[in-house]
Amino acid sequence: MSSDITNSKGSNVGLIALVVGVIGIAIALLGFKQGWDNGDVRPIMSWLIGFGFWLSIAIGMLFLTQIWYVFHARWPTIIRRQCEHFMAAFPYLLFLFLPLLAIPFLHENPGLLWKWMDGTNALPGHGTVGEDPLYAWKSPFLNIDFFTIRAFGIFAVFIGVSALLRKWSFNTDKTGDVNNTHKSRRLSSLGLFLCAIAMTLGSIDWFKSLEYHWFSTMYGVWFFAACMRAALASIIILCVILAAKGYLKGILKQAHRYDVACMMLAFTVFWAYISFSQYFLIYSANIPEETFWYNIREKNFDGGLNSWWWVSMGLIFGHFLTPFLLLLWYKTKVVVWRTVAVSVWILAFHLLDLYWNIIPGKLVVPDHGEGYLVRQFSITPYDVAALVGIGGICIFAMCRSMKKAEPIPVRDPNILTSLNYTE
Amino acid sequence: MSEKYGIIASFPDTPSFYHAAEKVRDAGYKKWDTYSSFPVHGMPAAQGQPRSKVPVFTFCGGITGFCLGLGMVWFMNAFDYPLIIRGQPFFSPVFPFPIMYELTILLSAFGTLGGMFITNLLPQHYSPLFNSDKFLEVSGDRLVIAIESRDGKYDPVATRQFLEGIGGTDIEEVSA
Repeated sequence: MSSDITNSKGSNVGLIALVVGVIGIAIALLGFKQGWDNGDVRPIMSWLIGFGFWLSIAIGMLFLTQIWYVFHARWPTIIRRQCEHFMAAFPYLLFLFLPLLAIPFLHENPGLLWKWMDGTNALPGHGTVGEDPLYAWKSPFLNIDFFTIRAFGIFAVFIGVSALLRKWSFNTDKTGDVNNTHKSRRLSSLGLFLCAIAMTLGSIDWFKSLEYHWFSTMYGVWFFAACMRAALASIIILCVILAAKGYLKGILKQAHRYDVACMMLAFTVFWAYISFSQYFLIYSANIPEETFWYNIREKNFDGGLNSWWWVSMGLIFGHFLTPFLLLLWYKTKVVVWRTVAVSVWILAFHLLDLYWNIIPGKLVVPDHGEGYLVRQFSITPYDVAALVGIGGICIFAMCRSMKKAEPIPVRDPNILTSLNYTE
Repeated sequence: MSEKYGIIASFPDTPSFYHAAEKVRDAGYKKWDTYSSFPVHGMPAAQGQPRSKVPVFTFCGGITGFCLGLGMVWFMNAFDYPLIIRGQPFFSPVFPFPIMYELTILLSAFGTLGGMFITNLLPQHYSPLFNSDKFLEVSGDRLVIAIESRDGKYDPVATRQFLEGIGGTDIEEVSA
């Protein structure tokens, strides 16, 4: 476990990631600028998707780290360190959120992305946002000032909790003081509540309020499930890469991969459970203020199936059924390439899930009464640029953190249990 | 009493017990087992056991439950006595889903329980091994390997020598 190897490799990958990230961000910002000038929201949504994808991985890892602390889990000690490294991305993610937060303050239409932010925005057949009684009821929560305060509060929780957990864990490497672990456990039992609230508010503000008309009490849980799936899949990929490149060679055992894959199976079922529950409750209640959200993800105004219907089917069969059936097999959970393949699959469909949640929206058609168009599914070069760009910055942050600390928590009280872990 | 069930050997500690099991496996015996009052990690592999077949029973139970739920709701709400509820269709895969997955879980659990009994050959109230007083101490601190006489490689003399050779003590034949 020579730290020289770690350092040189880490800095190489980190530098490449930084360069790729900056190029990607530059291209995505170009699209952002075009959207800003033309009043076209689609390239700005590219940014939101890329931001949401990497944020969800970081949030999932933050939750897992705290859950492992609270449950005194010993086996994931070596994996926890990799999560701690990735959590270094939170401050960068705050920085990358600022372009979105600039819209309500600097753009001529504050409601360019989140349309409730401008009362003069037209609604299909309902006049404007300002005349909408539903917005009036929701305005004590959905107003720009409170939105901004919440955004900083949410990031304060994520950055604060992750920074403390990182600091104490890295301190244990140097001092071997077991108090660091005790402090982390105490913080985690509080931090889980704080992070749950922050994550729920974040998902409501940034994704759900795109269609502010809608009601759903399941939305925060959906985002939690999505974060956990993204994080677990990323952990598998990250750890397998680290094991192949040498830092975790001989350290990452089949038992570790097997257990993370079991959690992947569990959260696949959990994601399906809450996603279906959300649909099922709205289907059963059959209230127009709620059903429209699913209607536009299935049909156009004229009743014909639109592109989102295929995406919806893709999510049911691709994001749930396929990984569920594959992960039932023991071999999928222990044969390295199979586990990695399922992880990549889950990440790809997690991205599709974000598309499905963010992009569809009602577009006003002038002189068409109640009619509207639905913004259809598309993958643009700016989506790719934002995804790669923001990802590059997050991976750069992770590599930078890897240079600061040991690849595994060498003096953690549970390190031996984790190293000798068997199924 | 000429019929013998098999031969048992005791081992002083868990590592020698574990490694002896590996040697019995490598010697090619098939009808044999290890007995201890606590689980020994890695013992199934040391015994050369394949993975449990219980998941197959679980899966079959789950599929049965899923289809049963689907069929039941279709039969009751759409075929035998069609009911109009909230203007929704008589049958759709959406609204019976809670019933489908609850039955999936229920019959998966039954399948798991039943599969466990079947693969473990339970219930089995009697085993000839109980004829040995030494074997009864397995519920205390004794670690025992038993090779059955119906094993093709079983030979009263050679097997006894083999068990001595791998460190077994208190070796005795157990009557059937």
